[in-house]
Amino acid sequence: MTARPERATSIRWRLFATLFVPAALVLCAGTVTTYLAVAPPVTDAYDQALLESALAIAAHVQPNANGRLELKLPPDALAIVRADSKDSVFFRVSSADGTFIAGDADLPEPMQRGNRLERDAEYHGMPVRLVGYRTYAGNFGFSVTMGETTHKRDEMRSRLLWIALAADGVVLGLILTLIWFSVNRSLAPLRALEDQIARRSANDLTPVALGDVPAEIRGVVAALNRLFGLVREGAVSQRRFLDNAAHQLRTPLTGIQAQLELMCVSEEDPARRLRLTRILDGARRLGYTTHQLLTLARADESANPRWDFEDVELTTIVEAVIADSLAAAEDAGIDLGAEPEGATVRGIGWLLTEAVKALTNNALEHTPAGGSVTLRCGIERGAAFLEVVDTGVGIPAHERERVLERFFRASNARGSGSGLGLAIVKEVSDLHGGVVTIAAGPGAVGTRIRMELPAVAAPAVSVSSDSESNIVVPLLRRSRT
Amino acid sequence: MRSFGPGAGSMRVLIVEDDPLVGDAVRLALVAAGLATDLVGSAEAARSALAVETFDLIVIDIGLPGESGLRLLQGLRSRGRVLPALILTARDGLTDRVTALDLGADDYLTKPFHVPELVARCRALIRRANAVASSRVAFGHLELDMTHREVSVSGRMLDLTQREWAILECLVLNAGRLVSKDKLLHAVADWSHDLTPNAVEQYVSRLRNKLGAAARIRAVRGMGYRIDDGSA
Repeated sequence: MTARPERATSIRWRLFATLFVPAALVLCAGTVTTYLAVAPPVTDAYDQALLESALAIAAHVQPNANGRLELKLPPDALAIVRADSKDSVFFRVSSADGTFIAGDADLPEPMQRGNRLERDAEYHGMPVRLVGYRTYAGNFGFSVTMGETTHKRDEMRSRLLWIALAADGVVLGLILTLIWFSVNRSLAPLRALEDQIARRSANDLTPVALGDVPAEIRGVVAALNRLFGLVREGAVSQRRFLDNAAHQLRTPLTGIQAQLELMCVSEEDPARRLRLTRILDGARRLGYTTHQLLTLARADESANPRWDFEDVELTTIVEAVIADSLAAAEDAGIDLGAEPEGATVRGIGWLLTEAVKALTNNALEHTPAGGSVTLRCGIERGAAFLEVVDTGVGIPAHERERVLERFFRASNARGSGSGLGLAIVKEVSDLHGGVVTIAAGPGAVGTRIRMELPAVAAPAVSVSSDSESNIVVPLLRRSRT
Repeated sequence: MRSFGPGAGSMRVLIVEDDPLVGDAVRLALVAAGLATDLVGSAEAARSALAVETFDLIVIDIGLPGESGLRLLQGLRSRGRVLPALILTARDGLTDRVTALDLGADDYLTKPFHVPELVARCRALIRRANAVASSRVAFGHLELDMTHREVSVSGRMLDLTQREWAILECLVLNAGRLVSKDKLLHAVADWSHDLTPNAVEQYVSRLRNKLGAAARIRAVRGMGYRIDDGSA
């Protein structure tokens, strides 16, 4: 795990910590309890063994002829009492008044009351365990004190401790693994949901499927879906608004333009006709700018969710724009032509058409009579492209970036353009995940503006352009076949 | 504007448009083109007019108040009326266009349109209908006899080969519009299958020579051709 900032609020880590830390504490407490419970019986057992030695020695303490107690034990037997592989064993026999009788004279007294006493002490710098036994031989009271270094006991205690710790360590490891697995397993639906949402494209506003969403986050997902729904509705109502705006603005503009066109044609007085022509020009500019503003608004990503995308054949777009712009090109004395090669992209046909129209109108506006404007499309280096090449005035190199901004017009711009055309091109290109490049035309003359778009994997085989689907196949041929 | 041509005086167009400014302009433009017109403002009024009068063309605005233009068109087509229909719309999305064509519209024009364009489209629709009904098509100074595959200029017969005729026919039936080289190739392919686009250029060039000033065939570089009678 990398130290990502979200770890601080990670549910996984929080669950892990809140489950694991108490489990570890409980196990530690268990270890201590086990140790505390097991250690005393062990001590008791060793003490008992020592006491038995004391009893054995006491059995051989007898009063002698002159009325004093003495230990009557052969050296061999004493050696057996003292024999121990790990510890040194000491003893001391003394009378009731504390007079030394036999054994190690300087062994400390453990005696308190009763006839059996134990205590930990130090002897010759070594920790020893002392066990005492008080009894009588005839009328004489005496005591036997056994001392034993603590190696055996320490070893046993530490072995017990290690066994307890090792067992608990294994258990702790198992618990850790179980917690880890169950936390991850419980959180798997969360991760699946995260993946599902992460995989969505930015404008995919369909609801998240509630199918395998755990109950705990159903509320969150439902809220998310409600939000998606609101955004979707917003997009739909924005589109409806723009549709209505388009209708409300275009209809009167159409009426004004058409009426003015008719008046221009029928006007006899040249001066009045000139004025009418100017008004008509103004009305057309107004109409065109309105159209472009609406197009720009409608090219917005939120109004064009990806589920609206269709396969669009670029040659049909080129053909439609050529057909649309022929009259304007003829009026301006410009040779308008095309080099269409088959290419298919996923997108919104009418917006791509508007973009190419805007490019073509710009090119026609900035190309002097006698020049040429060529629309091209096709596939180059795996990418589909739409481009318009003209032999016009060109765009200064340092302004090529800025002309894509709304309302920016190049310093050498001609005509009465609104400066919206290239902004539309940029917006439409962005919507389709494309790139706009501006360069000088062939031979450093004019301008070449190209939209590169992701091509649909398999280019359509049939390139026969049926853009004008209602074009008429000659009747004779139809009757003959 | 010039008159529509032989027999055009009897042509009648029904305009269904609720906006008075647009409706009036369309009416004036078509009247100037020599067509008789009736202007109504709603789908109901259009149906009443169609019940009592015979029309050769209907121009329908999609955005009518109440019943939409598309519904009107759908109703006409479902009752088997073959009356040519030109749809006008202020919406530029492709869906409207596709829907209109699917519902049986013959052509489609987006607002704002240029008056000459509107007139040319209306003429083309009437011309096509005529080609079916009377097998005679008038185009500028040209008159085409579809049955006998003959063409005359101001009464003088032109001598065309079959391929030249096929190309002229295809261009005239789509007059004012761009016809791709592919389409023309298909139009002449009945007679031979190994034709190249270059061959089309040759036929067009010969056809131009024979037509002279009677009609203009314009080449659109890289795309195809378009025929104009010079009036639009």
